[in-house]
Amino acid sequence: MTSPALAEPLPSSVRKPGRVKSLMTTYRVPLSIIALCLLPWLLPSKALAVNVLVYGVVAVGYNLLFGYTGLLSFGHAAFVGAGAYITGIAIGQFGVPWYAAVLLGVIGGGLLAFAIGALSTRTRGIYFSMVTLALAQLVYYVALQASSWTGGENGLRGFTVNKINLLGYDINFLDPVNKYYVLMAFAALALWVVSRILNSPFGAAIEAIRENERRARTCGYNVERTKLLSFTLSGTICALGGTMSALHLAFVPLDSLHYHASGMIVMMTLLGGASSFFGPFVGALVFLVMEDVFSLWTSHWQIIVGSIFVLFVLFLPKGIWGTFLARFVR
Amino acid sequence: MNAPLLAVEDIGVRFGGFVALQSVTTAFHRGRVTSIIGPNGAGKSTLFNVLSGVLTPSSGSIRFKGQDLKGTRQHEFVHRGIARSYQITNIFPDLTVHENVRVAAQASRSRYNIWTNRNRFSELDTKADSALEAVGLVAKRDEIAKYLAHGQQRALEIAIALISDPEVLLLDEPTAGMGPEETKEMVALLEKLASERTILLVEHKMKMILGLSDRILVLHHGRLIADGSPRDIQTDPEVRRVYLGQNDGYA
Amino acid sequence: MDTELILMQLFSGVALGAILVLTALGLSIIFGMLGVVNFAHGALFMVGAYAGLWVASLTGSFWWGLLVAPVMIGLFGMLIEYFLIRPLYGRSIDDPLLLTFGLSYVLVEGVRIVFGTDGIPFPTPPALTGVLDLGVGFFPIYRIFVVGVVFVVVLLLWLGLEKTRFGLIVRAGARDPTMMRVLGVDISKVWLLVFGLGVGLASLGGVLSGPMRSVNPEMGSLVLAEAFVVTVIGGLGSLLGSIIAGLAVGIVISMTALFAPEMATIVMFALMALVLLVRPQGLFGKLA
Repeated sequence: MTSPALAEPLPSSVRKPGRVKSLMTTYRVPLSIIALCLLPWLLPSKALAVNVLVYGVVAVGYNLLFGYTGLLSFGHAAFVGAGAYITGIAIGQFGVPWYAAVLLGVIGGGLLAFAIGALSTRTRGIYFSMVTLALAQLVYYVALQASSWTGGENGLRGFTVNKINLLGYDINFLDPVNKYYVLMAFAALALWVVSRILNSPFGAAIEAIRENERRARTCGYNVERTKLLSFTLSGTICALGGTMSALHLAFVPLDSLHYHASGMIVMMTLLGGASSFFGPFVGALVFLVMEDVFSLWTSHWQIIVGSIFVLFVLFLPKGIWGTFLARFVR
Repeated sequence: MNAPLLAVEDIGVRFGGFVALQSVTTAFHRGRVTSIIGPNGAGKSTLFNVLSGVLTPSSGSIRFKGQDLKGTRQHEFVHRGIARSYQITNIFPDLTVHENVRVAAQASRSRYNIWTNRNRFSELDTKADSALEAVGLVAKRDEIAKYLAHGQQRALEIAIALISDPEVLLLDEPTAGMGPEETKEMVALLEKLASERTILLVEHKMKMILGLSDRILVLHHGRLIADGSPRDIQTDPEVRRVYLGQNDGYA
Repeated sequence: MDTELILMQLFSGVALGAILVLTALGLSIIFGMLGVVNFAHGALFMVGAYAGLWVASLTGSFWWGLLVAPVMIGLFGMLIEYFLIRPLYGRSIDDPLLLTFGLSYVLVEGVRIVFGTDGIPFPTPPALTGVLDLGVGFFPIYRIFVVGVVFVVVLLLWLGLEKTRFGLIVRAGARDPTMMRVLGVDISKVWLLVFGLGVGLASLGGVLSGPMRSVNPEMGSLVLAEAFVVTVIGGLGSLLGSIIAGLAVGIVISMTALFAPEMATIVMFALMALVLLVRPQGLFGKLA
């Protein structure tokens, strides 16, 4: 079946990844962790670095669904928010120790993701994005109404975590450097979990669905069930990001549930690059730095960010990291 | 007793007012090659879609190894043993050839495993490579599928269907869009496969069909108008009437 | 609960629903013809409201605002289609969605820059203030007007789609753009007009809603969510679905506001969730 015309060596885009790319993929978790260790010393403020951690985790979790399964959800802020609120309420109103509160937040967020996923994966194609937005907006309005639990419009407060007892050592959580490295441990965990999921047979299954859903079904994959699992896993990681945010800010703003927040996650993921493992993290970094810098110049920084995003969609759909990998890494 | 492997009874398919298939009753036996022919719009693809679970018939029943397939969901057909390839190439474009087949092989086991590294499942690699060998694509194993030549993509189509080790293989115009050279290679491949499996073929190239098939079914306007050996079909008056003016296709 | 109150609330729901119908129709037409989900739809609704206000303040008349603003913004919509959406043709179906999402940020912030961040009241035109005593209750004249305008617009739209050649092309082209090209129809002109029409409908909704809600740069986000809910319930691409679902949602919100005002918005989303459970393609939609 070989045609003579293809006897000459093909351009490298045709063959499977070369050495450097393969090495980077195999060691992506340790390499990412090294990058994260250095991050706080490269950015102007530790608080910004923590924010990057939080949203990096959220974006990487989101990308499991968007970049790898091919489903554009506009409602993932609901899971970030759920994780944050549950953690905050557990600590603030029930006096639960921080690690249990985090676990509750992750589980709660995961369950919410399962519920919303079950409804939204019943829809096909472009419907999916609209439905996820609307269902997440439902969560926003419920949180607004349930103000005795959530603080309503003013957000949730009153659950500051001052120190953390880790393996017998008391760590002062209010110290920005300590806070960063404790939360970095969470981020490392999240990255490791996502990497394992991507390397697993399930990871191959979601890629097949992204590439050709119809064919995946004929090959024997239960597409709806696989999508739901991907949605739930993705939402759970985002919920972890939410718990990290709650610990960091000691405050959960209501707006973190609004679809604008979901849109921000989408923008970060796309800016960095949805086709790679670490791209979303880069996207979160770039977005948050841009926000930091532009808001110094003008209160109307959103118009700059919006325009940049439009330009990226038009001209740089692979994102910053994705384009860098495609051009320079073989 | 030569019980049929796959049997359909009184199958009807309607899309609103349009009748795509009507009262189709026939059976397919193990180890034979059956070709389904007919003019465009006769209902061949519809029948294939019914047999592979893509479409639920409006009436009638399908039995596979004696079991009624009613209510079986599309993705379960492969697990039962019925696999198909598509007329318009339907592969995973950005995956390599090897990955294409491997992901298809994986569908029958461990598809919800989110933790183990997939490279540990070396038997899937072996299976994938042997399917590629069967269709002659081993040399192209690491090429990205969308860059393959058309004939190679058609071969990959078949490899994906083959990997599930199906008892019944439904091939929808495997030589679609192929020139004479590539068609010859595909026919050789099909002859090899025919010796091992039950094959249902939809094709337009008459000479190829006559040479390959044990049996031919002729569909016209959604009805089965003829069913017999190549010799029977060639001499059937109704078939000759329907096909008057049709090309012989490629040599 | 006396009948008069219920009737008035019902009517209020119809007026609310009428605006939803306009917005959802605009969204549905754009999707049906171009396959694009316009995420900037809510923002354009808002821009329409501001445009109406601006024209009205320039000319001293609400009527000029009502007439000119939708046309103005509709033309702006055509520019968007030509320069931003058309380059994405042939790429992933998500790309126009993403682009219009980014665009909505630009539009909202743009309005904030020009008109300020606070809301602006949109005065009801003097000719339409007051209530009409219809025996069963007192109905605000402005809302009667809104329902009337939407009814006429929908009628014109229906006539246009069913009876004119352009309408035929829009309906047929949605099914087979290649066929249209083959028949010699310049599909790109049709896209331009349809996108402009869809945006025009949204901005008309914005102008009409001005006197009912005040005008502020954020008003578009709820509108977008509402339009999505109505479209999912009615069925994407189905015009009849948008109309029926729009009215139904308007009435449901209004009636819920009577008994439990804080639940009104939640009920709308819950209704959508229910439809998704029972009939995922929407009341009048087709299965993908």
